Amino acid sequence: MTENEQIKLIRTACPAHCGIDCCGILAHVKGNRIVKLEPADFPDEKDRRICLRGLVSLDITYHPDRIKYPMKRIGERGEGKFERISWEEAYEIIVVKFKEISEKYGWKSIGWVLGGPGAGTTKFGAYLRLASLTQSTRVSAWGYGDAGLPCGSRVIFGHQFPYLYLFGEFWQRKYPELLMIWGTNPAESMPLQNMRKVLDAKEYGTQVIVIDPRFTVTASKADEFIGLKPGTDSALALGIMNVIFQNNLHDKEFILEHTNGAYLVRTDSGKMLRGKDVDAKKPEAYMVWHESSNFHKTLSRTSVKEASLTGTYMINGIECKPVIQVLMDLTSEYTPEKTAEITGVNKDLIVKLGKRIATAETVRFLTHMGFTRTYHGDISLRGLISVAAITGNVTTSVNSGHVPGILNWNPFLKAIPDKPSFHRIGILNLYEAVISSNPYPIKALWFAFINFLNQCANANKIIEEFYPKLEFIVQTELFLTPSARYADLILPVCSFLEFSDFLAQPYPYVQLQQKVIEPLYESKSDANIVAELAEHLGFGEYFKGGEEGLIDLIMASRSFEGINRETLKTQARKLPTLPEGASFPLSFGTPSGKIELYAEQLYEDGEALPVYLPPIEAPITPGEKKYPLTLVNGHSRFRTHSMFANVKSLLDLNPEPIVDINPIDAETRNISNNDIVTVFNDRARTTLKARISESVQPGILDITEGWWIEQFKEGSLNHLTHDIINPVQDKVYEPNMHMNDVAVEVEKK
Amino acid sequence: MSKSKRLGMIVDQERCIGCEACSVACRIENNSTDFWIKVETQGTSVKDTPVGRFPDLTLNFLPRLCNHCENPPCVDSCPEDALQKRNDGIVILDQDLCTGCKACLDACPYNIIVFDENNHLAEKCNLCAHRVDKGLEPFCVLCCEGQALHFGDLNDPESNITKILSKDDVFQLKPDEGTNPSIYYIRPKPKRRL
Repeated sequence: MTENEQIKLIRTACPAHCGIDCCGILAHVKGNRIVKLEPADFPDEKDRRICLRGLVSLDITYHPDRIKYPMKRIGERGEGKFERISWEEAYEIIVVKFKEISEKYGWKSIGWVLGGPGAGTTKFGAYLRLASLTQSTRVSAWGYGDAGLPCGSRVIFGHQFPYLYLFGEFWQRKYPELLMIWGTNPAESMPLQNMRKVLDAKEYGTQVIVIDPRFTVTASKADEFIGLKPGTDSALALGIMNVIFQNNLHDKEFILEHTNGAYLVRTDSGKMLRGKDVDAKKPEAYMVWHESSNFHKTLSRTSVKEASLTGTYMINGIECKPVIQVLMDLTSEYTPEKTAEITGVNKDLIVKLGKRIATAETVRFLTHMGFTRTYHGDISLRGLISVAAITGNVTTSVNSGHVPGILNWNPFLKAIPDKPSFHRIGILNLYEAVISSNPYPIKALWFAFINFLNQCANANKIIEEFYPKLEFIVQTELFLTPSARYADLILPVCSFLEFSDFLAQPYPYVQLQQKVIEPLYESKSDANIVAELAEHLGFGEYFKGGEEGLIDLIMASRSFEGINRETLKTQARKLPTLPEGASFPLSFGTPSGKIELYAEQLYEDGEALPVYLPPIEAPITPGEKKYPLTLVNGHSRFRTHSMFANVKSLLDLNPEPIVDINPIDAETRNISNNDIVTVFNDRARTTLKARISESVQPGILDITEGWWIEQFKEGSLNHLTHDIINPVQDKVYEPNMHMNDVAVEVEKK
Repeated sequence: MSKSKRLGMIVDQERCIGCEACSVACRIENNSTDFWIKVETQGTSVKDTPVGRFPDLTLNFLPRLCNHCENPPCVDSCPEDALQKRNDGIVILDQDLCTGCKACLDACPYNIIVFDENNHLAEKCNLCAHRVDKGLEPFCVLCCEGQALHFGDLNDPESNITKILSKDDVFQLKPDEGTNPSIYYIRPKPKRRL
C-alpha cells in the first residue's frame, strides 16, 4: 500500500439492534481495509449522527476473536472446543441432521430462533422465507423482553406498535407543549432518533416529564422526575385518570369519536351490550345511551355524538354502564393518597401531573419497552395509552409529512402463496416445547443474531434442562459468545460492513446498508448462508442472487416512488410524502375499530380495564420477605444488548459489570463502593462489583443488561431472572420475559 | 488587518448526555493512547451517579478537554518549545519536539495534559488542528450525540458560537487562574417544575 493510495468513501448504515436510530455511516476505505467511520450525510443535516458504539464498529469488524471459519463441536456442549471444517462439510452436516430429525419428528420440530435483526430486513426475511418453504418453526424473539409492548398495544390500539399514535409527530419534529417520557431511557437506548429530539424539544419550549423507577440520564434532563416503584405504572395511570375525572377535565369529544368510551357494558357479563340483547336490527352492533332521547340506541356516527359517558341504565332488564363509567368506578379507588401509597410518588405531584396532562394544549407520550418488562407490563402500556386517550392526546391521522413506511413482508412470510407457511412459537413458549414437547416437540434449533443463553431468562434452566433435550444446535455468530459455546455447529457471519441489506429506518428514511469490504476470513452474511443452505435443501430457486436478490425482492414489495438501489448508494431517501393538505388516517385494528379503553375479550381474565395488578416477584409491598429487593436491568450506552461487550475501547471506559445499590440498602448490608457483592435468589448467585448510587431508589438493584456471562465473577444477570409465563400475554400475542420483575437479596462477598 | 482568530468551543451542559462519544471519537481520530476528553460527573467522584437524595436529584456532566487558553501556562513551561499557541488560538503540542519532561503536566491548572507511558511523551487535545486546517470541525463536535458541542471563532462577531455566548449564561473553568480558556460552558437550564 502506498502513501498516496486513494481513500474511497462508501455510504452505509448501522443496523445495530437500536434499529430506530439506524445511523448513516460514511466508511473510509484504503485498499481493502476500512480505516475510519464517520457520520454520513442525511438529506436533513440535523439527522447526521453516530453514537459511541457506531464509532467503534471497526473494533468488531477487525476484532481478533472473530470466528473465522465454520466449526464443529468436539468437546462437551458449553466447553468451547471446536474444530475447523469447510462450508461444504457444514452444509452436509446440516442437511443430514435436518433430514434425520424431520423424518422422525416432522419439519415442525426444527426451529429458527431469530433475535433482533435491528434495522436489517433481508437477513431476517431470508430465514422467514426458508422457514416458510420448509414449513418449519419460526421462533419469535419478541418474548425476550419486547412482547409486553405489542401485547398492550394490540389490545388497546389493535396494532403491534403504539409509536405513531403516541409520538409520531415528535419524530416529525413537531414538538408538544408537554412531553411525557414514560418507562424508557432514550439517552442510553435511543440517543439519536429520540433523545436528541427530546433536547431539541426542550429548546423549543416543551416541558419534559420523566416517569421511571430509576433516575436515568433521561430523567436528569426532565423538568420533573416522577420516581415510581417498578411495576406500579398502571396504578399511577389510574391515579392520574382519577385526578382528571374528578376535575372533569377529560376530553369528551375525543372519547366519543375515537374510543369505545361511550359503549355500553353489561354489568352481569362484563361484555358489551349488543343489538341482539335489546332486539335491535343489527345483532352484533354496539349500543350507547342516547342522552337527549333518554333511550338506548344502536351505535352510529350520529348516535355516538349524543351518547352518555356516565350513568347506570336498565335496558330490557339488563344493567349497563358506558365504558367511561366503568373506568371511573375503577379510578375512583385510586385516590391520590392510595396511588401515592402504591407507587411511592408524592400525592400532590400526582394531582399536579393529572391536571397538567389534561390542560396542556398538546401532550405526546414518548415510550418504549422498559416499563413493559414487568409481569403486567402490557397493562402498564394500556394505562399510559388510556391517559393519552381520555385527554385527546392520541394522534388519529397523519396530517402532513410522511406516509408511515411499512414494508410488505409477504414474499418472505409466504414464499409460495397457496402453500401453508411456517409454524410460529414465542421464545418463552420455546422452553416448554423443548423441555416438555408442549405444544409440540422441538428437536433442532438454529440461532441467528441472538445471544440466547446470555439474554434470555433463567440461564440455569436453559443449561440444565433445555440444551440437553436438543439433538442439534446451529449458531451463526461473529464471536464465541456464551450461547455459541453450546452450539454443535458455528457458522461465521460478517459484521455489518461486509454485507448489504435494505433498511427501512430511521423514520422517515430508507437506507442502503452497503457492503463496504468483502467478507473477512470465511464469513458470509446470514442471507447468503440461508440462500446456500436452501440450495442444498432443494429450494435454491427461491433465493436467486443471494443477499442482493433478497434486497430486490423486498424493494419490489411496495412502491418506493423513485427510490432505488442506485440513488440509495450515496444518500438516505425520505419516504413518500403526503400531498399538501392530505390526511392519512391511522386506523385502529381493534374489534370495534376504536381505541379500546375497555377490552371485553379480557373480562374473564380480570383485565378488561387497565387495572393495577402488582408485580409477580418484585417485592414492592412492605413486610418481611426472603428476597426483599427488586432487580431491574437498564440498558447501557456502552452496549446494544450483548453486542460491544467484548470491545476493548469501550471496556476502557466501562470495564466490568456493576450493580447499582441505593446508599440506604448498602449501609444496612455494610456494602461500600467497589465492594464485591453477591446478588442472589433461589435460582442463582451472581457476583460482581457494587456501585453506591442514588440513581436507584431504596429497595431496587440495577444491573445493566448485555454483559457476557464470563464477565461476571459468578452467575450472570439472567441466571437471576425467571421464565414465568403470563397467560394473558400468551393469549393476546406472545408471553414476555419479565426482567424488571425479579426478587433478590444482596450481600457482601 | 482584521483581529486574529480565537478558535474555541462551547459545551452545552443542558444538551450533554454524558455518553462519552466525544472521548471515544477523539481517541480514534487522534489515535491516542489515553482519552484527551474526560467526561466528569459533576459533584461526585463516582462516575455516572447523581447527586442528592432520590427522587430529588441532579446529574450533570462536564466534558473536560484542553482549554486552549489565551494565556497558556503550559506553553511557557515547555523547555523545548513543543507547545505553541497558534495564531488561530489553538494550543498545539508537537510530539516530535516533546522530550517527556512533564513540565507541562505540572503547569496546566486543569490537569488535562496526559502522559503516554509507552512513548514517554505528553499528549493533549490539539482541537483537531489537522481537520480545522482543512475547514472541518473537530471530530468530537461532529460525533457529539446530543449536539452539545459548538465550535467556531470567538473573535468573529458573526460566528455561531459568539452568538451563543452573547445569549446564554456561560462560564469558564477556573477563571481565577487568569488563563482565559477558549472552552466555555453553558449551565443546565433551570427546571420548570410542575
